[in-house]
Amino acid sequence: MIDLSVDLAGVKLANPLMTASGTCGYAQEYGSYVDLRQLGAFITKSITVRPRLGNPPGRVVETRAGMLNAIGLANVGLEAFLKEKVPLLEDLALPVFVNVAGTTIEDYLAVIEALAEVKVVRGVELNVSCPNVKEGGITFGVDPVQIEHITRRAKERCGKNILIVKLSPNVADIAITARAAIAAGADALSLVNTFTAMAIDVETARPLLANNTGGLSGPAIHPIAVYMVHRVYTQAARAAKVPIIAMGGIQHWRDAVEFLLAGATGLAIGTALFVDPACLLAIRDGIADYLRRQGHESLDPIIGSLTLNTAS
Amino acid sequence: MVKSEPQPSRGVFAARVRSNRRLCDEHYLLRLEVGTDFPLTQAGQFVQVQCAPVNGAEGPIVHEWGEKGPPPQFQSPELVESQVLLRRPFSLAGREEIGGRTVLDIIHRVVGRGSARLAALAEGQTVSLLGPLGNAFTWDADTKLAVLVGGGVGLPPMLYLAERLHQAGKPALAYAGVTSANLLPLSLDAAVPASKAGWPSLCVREFARWGVQTTISTDDGSLGYTGRISQALFDWIDQGRIVAAGTIVYTCGPERMMRAVAEGCLARGFACQVAMERKMACGMGACQSCVCKTRAQNPLGWQYSLVCTDGTVFDARQILWE
Ligand SMILES: Cc1cc2nc3c(=O)[nH]c(=O)nc-3n(C[C@H](O)[C@H](O)[C@H](O)COP(=O)(O)OP(=O)(O)OC[C@H]3O[C@@H](n4cnc5c(N)ncnc54)[C@H](O)[C@@H]3O)c2cc1C
Ligand SMILES: Cc1cc2nc3c(=O)[nH]c(=O)nc-3n(C[C@H](O)[C@H](O)[C@H](O)COP(=O)(O)O)c2cc1C
Ligand code: FES
Repeated sequence: MIDLSVDLAGVKLANPLMTASGTCGYAQEYGSYVDLRQLGAFITKSITVRPRLGNPPGRVVETRAGMLNAIGLANVGLEAFLKEKVPLLEDLALPVFVNVAGTTIEDYLAVIEALAEVKVVRGVELNVSCPNVKEGGITFGVDPVQIEHITRRAKERCGKNILIVKLSPNVADIAITARAAIAAGADALSLVNTFTAMAIDVETARPLLANNTGGLSGPAIHPIAVYMVHRVYTQAARAAKVPIIAMGGIQHWRDAVEFLLAGATGLAIGTALFVDPACLLAIRDGIADYLRRQGHESLDPIIGSLTLNTAS
Repeated sequence: MVKSEPQPSRGVFAARVRSNRRLCDEHYLLRLEVGTDFPLTQAGQFVQVQCAPVNGAEGPIVHEWGEKGPPPQFQSPELVESQVLLRRPFSLAGREEIGGRTVLDIIHRVVGRGSARLAALAEGQTVSLLGPLGNAFTWDADTKLAVLVGGGVGLPPMLYLAERLHQAGKPALAYAGVTSANLLPLSLDAAVPASKAGWPSLCVREFARWGVQTTISTDDGSLGYTGRISQALFDWIDQGRIVAAGTIVYTCGPERMMRAVAEGCLARGFACQVAMERKMACGMGACQSCVCKTRAQNPLGWQYSLVCTDGTVFDARQILWE
C-alpha cells in the first residue's frame, strides 16, 4: 500500500495535491470534470475584504509554453465568500486553504480574522506576491522587512488556522524573503506565484494585455520554480522544518516529483487545470506509481532527497 | 488511473476526426465524432478544443497565409511553431446523429497556432473536447420571426441556430457578412444568385436546408450587398419588411459588427441577443479571464460578467460596449 499522505504544518492531507489559487475558482466550477474530494487540499482564489472587479479584458494571453494573466484579483469579497462559497467548500470535505490578498495590512487582517472562525478553513495563504494589482500585493512581497511585518501581524490573527506565505519569484534571491517569512512565524511557504512578464502585439505595437503586464505561469516557469524550491528548501525551510507547497508548471507526475525531490511537501497545480481538470488525479496516481517503482511506501524518503552533482 | 465521474451535463470527451475539409480561404469544417452519450447541446454553446491530436502522428502544419504573404522561410519550423498549451473555444456549428455516433461540427478560421493545428488534423485522429459550455440562444412562444446575423467566424453558431429554429417551427432569415467572397465559409447555390440589393433568397445551401433565406454582404462588393451586414439588415427593416413585434435578432461576430447590430436593433425596438467573444483560459467559470461589462443594479451601474458561463449569449440591453 502506497501512502501518499503528508503532514503540512499539522494539517493532515490525504495526498500532496492541491489546486493553485485563482485557477479553480471556489471549487464548484470544476464539479463535473474532476472529483476534487480526492485531492489533498483545496486552495481558493484570492479573497479581499471587499469585492474586486479586477482588470479590464483581455486578461489572458497564451505565450510559448505558458500564459500571461492579469486578472487583477477579481473576487466576490469576504462577505459573499463566507455566505455563498463556504457552504460549497464544506461539501468538499477537504482541508481548505484560503488565499488572502489586500492593499493594506488592515485589509489582510480583517479577512484573516474572519477566517479564523470558519471550520472548514484550515489555513490562510497570504498572497504577498500578486503581480497584477498596482496598489499592493507585490510591494509587500519583494521587501523582506515588509514580509516579516505582515507575516507577524497575520500570524497573530490566524487563530486555529495555519499561515502559509506565498512568495513572489520576482526577487533577486527568494531565500531572503523566505527567511523573513519563517522568522516572523510562517507555518508553511508557497512558491511560486507568477513571474511578471509582457507580450506585445507587433502589428499594433501595443501590449496584448489590457493591463500591459501580467504574470507568467505554465510549463515555461517550471524549471525556475524547481530551482527556487531547491534554494528555499536548502537555505531556509529544511533547517526551520517549514514545509513548502510547490507550484509552477506542473503538468505531469514527473514535474511533480521534481518538486518533491527538491524539497516540497505539497504540490499545487494551476494552469494545467485549464487544459485537463482531471490531470490532478493522473498526477497523483503517477506519483504513487513512481514510489512503487522506487521501492518506497510513502513520500517521506523522497522529499528533499535530491543528490547534487559534485563539481568536477 | 482513477477516473473522475463527470456529471452528464458536461465533461471531457475524446472525439474522432470524421472529416476536415477546407471550405474557403482560411476556413475549415471539422466534423468530430463522439459517443451518442455526448451531453445535450443547444445553439450558442461552444466546446474547448485541444488543438493537437491526442495520439497518433501530428501532420504537417498547413497554413495558408493568403494576403499576409508566405510564412518566413528562413527559420526552421521548430522555431516558428510551438506547442499549443490552452484549449481554444469554438462554437458548435451543428450536431447530427449518424450511424450510431454523434457528429459535432466546428467551422474555424486559421488565425494562429491552435487553429493552424486544427486545420492539419487528419481523418481518424483523436482530439479532446471539453464541454458543452456556455448558455444558448433563446426564444419563446411569441417569437414569430428569428433574424440571424453572423459576421465571419460568427456564422457557425448561426447554422446550428437555424437548424434548432427549424425544429421548433420558427421561421428565420439569415444575414451573413464577410469581408470578401473568398472568406465565406458557406456554399452558394449556383441557381440562386445572392442579391446585390440585399434581398433575402435561398442562396446559401446551409441555410436553405432549413428553409432560411439569406442576405450576403461583403465589404468589397465581391458578393451580394456591398457594405456592412448591419446596414443590409437595417435597409430591409427600414423598408418595413420586418416588424419589431414578435421578431428577435440574434448576432455573433466581430464586436464592432455586433455592437452596430445591437444598437440599431434596440433603437428600432427589436429584441436582440448577442453572443460575446473573449479570450478564454478555462471556459468554465474558474479563471475570470473572459469578462465583459454588463449593466448592474449597483452604485457603479455595471459589473463584469463571465462570457463563458454567464454567456456567451446576452440580451443586447445588458451589454455595455467599450
Ligand atoms: C465562445 C467562442 C466561440 C468561438 N467560436 C469560433 C468559431 O466557431 N470559429 C472560429 O473560427 N473561431 C471561433 N472563436 C475564436 C477562436 O477561439 C480563436 O480564433 C482561436 O482561439 C484562435 O486560436 P489560435 O491559436 O489559432 O490563435 P492565437 O495564436 O491564439 O491568436 C491568433 C489571433 O486570434 C485571436 N484570438 C485568440 N484567441 C481568441 C479567442 N478566444 N477569441 C477571439 N479571438 C481570439 C488573437 O487575438 C489573435 O489575433 C470563438 C471564440 C470564443 C470565445
Ligand atoms: C488565471 C490565473 C489566476 C491566478 N490567480 C491567483 C490569485 O488570485 N492568487 C494567487 O495567489 N495566485 C494566483 N495565480 C497564481 C497561481 O496560483 C500559481 O501560483 C501560478 O499560476 C503557478 O502555477 P502554474 O504554473 O501551475 O499555473 C493565478 C494564476 C493564473 C494562471
Ligand atoms: S474562461 Fe475562465 S472564467 Fe471564463
